[in-house]
Amino acid sequence: MIKSLLRPFRLYLTQAWLSYNGRLAITSPFGYLASKLGFPFFLMLFFIFMGKFVGFTNPLYIVIGNVLLIPASSSMFGVTNAIGDERGWGTLSYILGSPAPRMPVFMGRAFFYILDGFVTAIIGFVIAVGIFHLDLSRINFAMLVLCIFLVAITSSGLGFLFGSISLVSRDGWIYLNTFLSALYILVGVNFPVESLPPVLQKVAFGLPLTRGILAARMALQGAGWSIIRQLVAGEVLVGAIYILAGFLCFRLIEKRSMASGTLDAM
Amino acid sequence: MDSIAIEANSLNKTFKTKVGLWKTKSKSTVAVEDISFEVKRGELFGLLGPNGAGKTTTVKMLTTLLLPTHGTARILGLDVVRHTAEVRKHIGFAFSGSRGLYNRLTAIQNLKYFAELYALDPQVTRKRSHQLLELVGLAARGDDKVETFSSGMIQRLHLARALLHDPEVLFLDEPTVGIDPVGSRELRQTIKNLISLGKTILLTTHYMAEAEELCQRIAIINRGRIVALDSPEALKRRISGDSVIEASIQAGQMQVIMDQLRILDGKTVVELKNVSEPEIVTIRTPEPARVLELLSPYLNPQYIQELEVRNQTLEDVYVTIIKAGGQ
Amino acid sequence: MKDIRWGLIKQQMLVQLHVRTLNLLSLGLFVIQPAVFTAVGMLLSHAAGNAMPDLVYTVIGGGIMGMWSGLVFSSTYDITGDRLYGTLELIVGSPTSLTTIEAIRTLTNVLAGVSSLGLAFLAALAIFGYSLKGINFWGAIVSLLLLLFAMWCIGIFLANFLAWSRLSGGFVDYIEMPIAFLCGFMYPIRVLPGWLQILSGAIPIRWALQAMNESLLGNHDWSFLVIHWAITIGISLVFIAITRCLQDKVHDSIRVSGELSSI
Repeated sequence: MIKSLLRPFRLYLTQAWLSYNGRLAITSPFGYLASKLGFPFFLMLFFIFMGKFVGFTNPLYIVIGNVLLIPASSSMFGVTNAIGDERGWGTLSYILGSPAPRMPVFMGRAFFYILDGFVTAIIGFVIAVGIFHLDLSRINFAMLVLCIFLVAITSSGLGFLFGSISLVSRDGWIYLNTFLSALYILVGVNFPVESLPPVLQKVAFGLPLTRGILAARMALQGAGWSIIRQLVAGEVLVGAIYILAGFLCFRLIEKRSMASGTLDAM
Repeated sequence: MDSIAIEANSLNKTFKTKVGLWKTKSKSTVAVEDISFEVKRGELFGLLGPNGAGKTTTVKMLTTLLLPTHGTARILGLDVVRHTAEVRKHIGFAFSGSRGLYNRLTAIQNLKYFAELYALDPQVTRKRSHQLLELVGLAARGDDKVETFSSGMIQRLHLARALLHDPEVLFLDEPTVGIDPVGSRELRQTIKNLISLGKTILLTTHYMAEAEELCQRIAIINRGRIVALDSPEALKRRISGDSVIEASIQAGQMQVIMDQLRILDGKTVVELKNVSEPEIVTIRTPEPARVLELLSPYLNPQYIQELEVRNQTLEDVYVTIIKAGGQ
Repeated sequence: MKDIRWGLIKQQMLVQLHVRTLNLLSLGLFVIQPAVFTAVGMLLSHAAGNAMPDLVYTVIGGGIMGMWSGLVFSSTYDITGDRLYGTLELIVGSPTSLTTIEAIRTLTNVLAGVSSLGLAFLAALAIFGYSLKGINFWGAIVSLLLLLFAMWCIGIFLANFLAWSRLSGGFVDYIEMPIAFLCGFMYPIRVLPGWLQILSGAIPIRWALQAMNESLLGNHDWSFLVIHWAITIGISLVFIAITRCLQDKVHDSIRVSGELSSI
């Protein structure tokens, strides 16, 4: 009985590790770090200088927003591509044709990407602080770390949503890429959400990340748990909704793709 | 004109990989070691070997896709390393598997694309594409996207692609894999016709019957080395003119039969083939008459259900050579 | 590239468009991503209290981002896609050189990217009221052509480099944004610290882009433009020369490693 209770956890972790390792084929620590950090770091620099040109002279604002997007995008892309790549390699049929429960098998795939994104974000933050000599005198580090971890988890649901598209289409990651671009506008990464038109502000608060990023900005100013807990709770709720929606979408499309025979089609 | 189309001299290929994340170690894998052979113009030459023996690596070196670590190879007198571009004009190659074509394009579009890489005139391409699709049995599917093709159809399209520029030398890596028996037979006939047109073909295959039917000479490769090279008939004769006796044994009677055969000397090899019923014993022997004499008291349905006496096939030879480690 | 012929160019361009360009990814790269960058620029400008964004850098600059992203992604996925399809071996094994094929594909990618710039320009004109009055028209046209030339040269260099190893596809992460950042795709070069401006001088795109932006802003100083054009051509040719020197080494390297068919 204990074995059957532990099985989902074992499945969760083994799937998580094997999927992560199989996809990444890490060849050197430098190569790994550079590939994870390279694009988001230079993108952040790009936005900082765009801001400087137009007179938005608060690099810390842009740094935090972009750093928080790193674990989120790692988580989203990791899950989407983990599913999409199984299809590409022709292994999806074998996985879905096995009796293994779907929840731990596919939820597990998010785990190491979340961890990965979290570590990358911390490293990226430290580098950015060093380069821009950012003032961290008031920072509540524990709350900031919590926020980074939180957004990584809550955004994994989006990874599932787009990953389910990969069950029937080879272009799941393209839709995600486009959506991620939109996140740069919507969730307060580079400028306050209040700068958006009212309609878009409502959309922003319906997405994961928005509250998490706001909470992180407050933690930078020294805000403690009592101040940010409402934002954290809101982020958790929105994230849970997206994770559930992502999983349900996955199951629905899985059934449809089995009926239409598109599981293995490339 | 040089009568040798393909020449390999002491070809070696060693792959180096790095293992480990923090302290990386270099690891060398010898894929092909000291391979030498010649293929005459107009010959159909077979390369046989188990998985991982080095067949594809050898073919890739000959087709200029891999640089040898040591040794030389020539195609129609041209060195594959020093005259790479020239060699490529005179060879065609097709590897097994369902990759190697653009799935979103049709068969004809794929052929047009590859024809252009060989600088074929568009009119010639048009004509040859249709002829070759006809030849490989895909004439009706020319305007269909490759993503709708079965693996056998993709194999056939690969053969058409390899023949587009009318190469003198053709390399075919397991060409009948994934093709049904009727299609395989037609493809084998096509390959024979290509020989009658004067082409030289190097073929790798796992199907012994195919190798025996098609190849004038065969090289057996194992663990990166050639362990035997001769015509199929000569290879069969290598195993000392042995005969093969296959007997289906009734359930529970194998021990009786084995006890009888125990008195035979080491020149006779006895193998159990099936573990489920009926059990089959294969006896390779230079003295079939003696074996039959020993078995004669048991030639009734109580012991032996069926008995067949035949000459060694190429498969027998191949298995013997490979199991013996190439000696 | 002595094996250039019209049939090869036509066939490569057609297949490139069919297999790689006319798809969802291109829509994302040439239309959506530039729109997003432009939107971020405009909203940043709004958050900074500006009544109106800079149309040359913020709007047309978005189109330049689209062109460049499209080129980098397409060049990367050309090689990765060929590995995945298993066609890289067949292409390398043909008598036509890989560099020639990559040159034609890169040209196709660059020309496809012009659609992004065109859309951005139209948006600037039609939506944001950008005026062509006072611009240095011929300066802008010549600068644009040289910008395309510079991108083409870098694209061939990249494609040659990417053919080398199945892991080199990951290097696109170090190329796309660093070059956009260093060359001032959406802001003037003067915004960068001095030492970064010097570093960006090694990239031909920066010089052509600066000339084009200045022309669009109404700069008629021909000596300024000619100097920028000359530097663009010079550095671009250096990239071509490096590619030519490396191409045999790359060709040999990929045949030593045996990774032609590895994903």
